[in-house]
Parts: sequence; C-alpha cells; structure tokens
Amino acid sequence: MSQKKELNFEINILPILDILSVLICFLLLTAVWMQLGTIDTKQAIGDNSVSGAQNPPSLWAIVKEDNSVELSLRDVKEKMPLEYRVASRGRDIDWNSLSQRLQNLKSQLPDLKTVVIRPEARTNYGNVIRMMDQMKQNQLTDIGLSPLG
Amino acid sequence: MKRSSMNQAARFSPLEQAQLLKNGGEPIAGKKAEAALALPLTSLIDAFSIIVIYLLIGTQSGGIEIDVPKRLNLPVAESGIAVDKPQASIVRIEKGQYFVNNEAVSVQGLGAKLYQLKKSLGENEAEIFIQADQEMNYADLDPLLRAGSEAGIQKLKFAVMPNK
Repeated sequence: MSQKKELNFEINILPILDILSVLICFLLLTAVWMQLGTIDTKQAIGDNSVSGAQNPPSLWAIVKEDNSVELSLRDVKEKMPLEYRVASRGRDIDWNSLSQRLQNLKSQLPDLKTVVIRPEARTNYGNVIRMMDQMKQNQLTDIGLSPLG
Repeated sequence: MKRSSMNQAARFSPLEQAQLLKNGGEPIAGKKAEAALALPLTSLIDAFSIIVIYLLIGTQSGGIEIDVPKRLNLPVAESGIAVDKPQASIVRIEKGQYFVNNEAVSVQGLGAKLYQLKKSLGENEAEIFIQADQEMNYADLDPLLRAGSEAGIQKLKFAVMPNK
C-alpha cells in the first residue's frame, strides 16, 4: 500500500545564518568606530575694514608663550575696559579664569561673535585648539586664526 | 522499566517541546514517533538581522573614514562637529613635515599644491582638513596658514577628538 508523502515546506535557514554571520564579521572589522570631529575656522589675514563700513565688535586673543592670554576688544561702542589679561596657571593657561572672562564679556556684549586668535611661535597647538573650543562654547562662533606676525 | 517522575517532567517541559522537531502530522501506525533536538534558529536569525542593520546604519553612514596615524595625538574638543565633507584636502603635519593627501610636500611647495587642489575642487568648496599633534608648536602650523592664504583657501577645519 502506497503512502502519501508529505511535502516539507520548511526553508533551509542555515545558509541565511551563514551569510548573516559573515556579514556581521565583515561589518565589525570594517566599522569606523572612532568618529573624528572638526573645529572650523577662517583665515584671519589682512585688515577687512573698508572706509565707511562698520565692523562688528570683535575680540582679539593673543596667546603668549608663557601661556598667559591677552584679550582686547575692538569696534565696541559701549564704554568699558577694552584690555584684559588672563595670567597663566603654572605651565598651562588658566582655563577657568579665561572661561569666566569670556562669559562676562559675552553677557556684557551679546553681539560679540567674532574672535581672532593670535598665538605666538612657541604656543602649544593643543592650547590653541582648546581656546577655540572655549570660544565656541561661549557662543563666539566666528573664529579666525592669525598667522605669526 | 519504570521511569522516574523527574524524567517524565523533563520530557514534557515547554522549552523542550519548542525544540522538538516532529515528523509532520500523525504518527505512522507501527512506527515509533521520532523526535530530534533542534536549535530555535528563527530567533537567532532575528537577532543577527538586527545586529547587521545596526552595524550598517550606525557605523557606515555617519561621518567619513579618515586614517589618522596612531603616533598623532589629536587635540580634544567638546564643541567639535562631525566630519561631513569628504572633498576637503587632508593636510597632515608630522614633526615639521607636511603631507597633502598623504603626499609629502615641502614648505616651499605648499602654496602651489594647495592652489592646484583649490582649482580641482572649485572656488567655494576648497577647504583644508588639518591633522596635527597636540604637542606641536604653532610655528609649525604657520606655513600652512600662509600657504592656504596664498592659494586663496579661507576655510580651515582642525581635526579633533570628541571629548566624552
């Protein structure tokens, strides 16, 4: 007596598993885990003042080799001190004082957005970047970097 | 032979029942029902699919792949934004030597090289992506700024490690 054979409709999932395993290994090996960031600036060479044109208020930050920072305000209408100095702290820039000073300036001059950073030859590059970072954190978004004078 | 009650309970556990492959339909008369153990592969495939999708979306689409030499300690910054412009020319500074897109360039030739790049990229798209060690002196960056200025490239992007 012949018996009716039942069809097996099950999909063979072992090859799918193989493919998925290979894909996972490939993606793990080629994945870019370390995401780089960037700090964007512009060149700050030359004088952009045109006769008759009104320049926005700007802050110039000179980073000295002894890690002190001299801040000077330009094109400011308000009557206020235009020169500030942040002394170094040990062999590093006094980041807390600098941040405090920038916050004060920003609260006094909400329109202040432009900063020109002028480091000296032996100024540490990491400190320059950190300074730009602090400026950005204090909503000073238009940052220019000046070459050596 | 008398079976213990423990064996009986284990035989009818729901987990084991889920792993049993039955031979389809009613048992054939006169034949002993065969049972085989099988892994629950469907849930495994689900998990694998989710991992593949996560890896595809999470690690491939965001940012661009840029090789940074391990000897280069990039500065750390909190306000750094993700790299999104693959057309930027990568300039690396290592111990006073300049590499434009991995090609060593002398200080004197930097301006001409950047000008070539600017012409090939277009006026508005030209920008420099600078990779340099955080312990470097600013004097080493200065020739690059001047060369960029000579070439008419205004936008500078400094590579940083995001601070967590």
